[in-house]
Amino acid sequence: MTLLKLPSAKAPTRPAARTRARRGRADRRPRVLIAVTALFFLLLYLPIAVVALFSFNSKKSLTVFGGFSLRWYRTFAHDDVLIASLGTSLRISLVAMAGSVLLGVALALGLVRCRTRLGSLAGLIMLVPLITPEIVTGVASMLLFKGLGVALSTGTVMLAEITFSISYVTVILRSRVAALNPEVEEAAMDLGATRWQAVRLVTLPALLPAVLASAVLIFALVFDDFVLAYFTTGVDPQPLSVRIYSAIRFGVQPTINAVGTLMLAGSICLIALALFIPRLFGRRGGLDILSGE
Amino acid sequence: MALLRPSSRSRRRGPDATGTRMWTWFMLPGTLWMTGFLIASLVLVAVLAVGTTDDLGNPRFGFDLAGVRALADPAYTEVLARSLGYALLTCAVCLLIAYPVAYTIALHGGRYKHALIAAIVVPFFANYLVRMYGWSVVLSDDGPLLRALRAVGLADGDTKILNTGVGVVAGLVYGFVVFMIIPLYAALERLDVSLIEAGRDLYGGPVRTFFFVTLPATRQGAAAGLVLVFLPAMGDFVSAQLMGGPDQIMIGNLIQDKFFQGQNWPLGSALTMLLMLVLLIGMLGYLRRTRKDEAEARR
Repeated sequence: MTLLKLPSAKAPTRPAARTRARRGRADRRPRVLIAVTALFFLLLYLPIAVVALFSFNSKKSLTVFGGFSLRWYRTFAHDDVLIASLGTSLRISLVAMAGSVLLGVALALGLVRCRTRLGSLAGLIMLVPLITPEIVTGVASMLLFKGLGVALSTGTVMLAEITFSISYVTVILRSRVAALNPEVEEAAMDLGATRWQAVRLVTLPALLPAVLASAVLIFALVFDDFVLAYFTTGVDPQPLSVRIYSAIRFGVQPTINAVGTLMLAGSICLIALALFIPRLFGRRGGLDILSGE
Repeated sequence: MALLRPSSRSRRRGPDATGTRMWTWFMLPGTLWMTGFLIASLVLVAVLAVGTTDDLGNPRFGFDLAGVRALADPAYTEVLARSLGYALLTCAVCLLIAYPVAYTIALHGGRYKHALIAAIVVPFFANYLVRMYGWSVVLSDDGPLLRALRAVGLADGDTKILNTGVGVVAGLVYGFVVFMIIPLYAALERLDVSLIEAGRDLYGGPVRTFFFVTLPATRQGAAAGLVLVFLPAMGDFVSAQLMGGPDQIMIGNLIQDKFFQGQNWPLGSALTMLLMLVLLIGMLGYLRRTRKDEAEARR
């Protein structure tokens, strides 16, 4: 038995042999594992499918499907309150995206390149939102605004969303910045560029895919965010996710299925786009030099 | 080349000081922003936990332990214990579900691996509220899941999922299982398959190989996943609201109630600090574990 396997025992050094060994294992298809995984996928998509299906229901029921209709989408399009909320959500997402990308990218660059004590302190502060549950950050932001005497409004939601999106941008960008070879920047400076020019003309273009990806991701996350918006929003017009929350709590309106389906479809597209953006750039020549590999 | 090096280094010494200064300026706006809005607000929560309110219900600063003392009320300790129980149970269920899924995709996914993981991750980051709402429809008394279970005889007419603890945990699992899958998948992807084969070569059965080779090798991924699930599960209030009844409320629901309906801000702040304390203990436990693991790995 062991003798027969000797050739493959040497395998790990050669990648081709290793994939063959892997494929050999895959040939013995583990039926139970595949069944569990299939069931998992079924349950993962079932709720999404249910919301989407009943958004096209011609009846008001949430359990009986009467037939295909766009009735609830029409209701949504004519609902001025929901449309106003949609506008609020879009505004919040755009502002939060711009603000957090600007602050987050600069923070990521500074954190990687600045090895001072202030740098490590900033690194710690940056981690706080990632280990704090949303309800705590929501309560804290609300208290801060109330404490400062600022009336809650769309503006306060924007400020709070920026605060908690900075960390995401920084986390995404930090590994990319760390992978850049600082010698390329130094080469630019040896060729007469100032430090700032080196950052603007060499570093930032190299980071562009990651910056775009994080921007799209933040837009989607903020648009979908509910807890933070719920604690920091004013009365009117509230962000769409807060509206959905009240609608779900106080009686079921099928319109919510239509809004929910649109939101799910929108954010699924955006998140898939965010995952795909680096690939659009990834394999393109010159920039690869910069990724210290 | 060797000749050039000293001169270029000496030329770089000047710019390096200005470089550090520039990078500090890069770091400053974001750090100040977060200190002002985040650290300050967390401090404010701590201060208000010992504060009072005026006649109109507005928060007042002061030193009054009424809010903190109220935490000892059995009504609150019961909710805290329940939240802990639900969160820990959620962690366990997530591990049990995520491990086989991550394992199957990492080791048997072949060239569809990335697509399959993306198919899990993408919907998970889409609207949490809408997903949870859809899940509550699936779990409802005449929803598809219970109908299917009744059809195969695994449930009878009286079986309920919504408005029970099972429903709340099911909601939390559905909400956060992806945070378990990602680190586990990363760990299993890195796993050297020849280790498993070595286990087999040494006459370990599939079960023994799994428990003595695969599982220990991916322990860190599992530990990271447990923390990542525990944090949001402990602070969640949507699941208990949509899937549970009044007997299933969690600490998040209490906090929400104290700030919106009850208007008892000092008590709400005290509850928030209590939640943070529990999470901090969990985080510290995790950090100690990983540090011990790293020390062992180095030996």
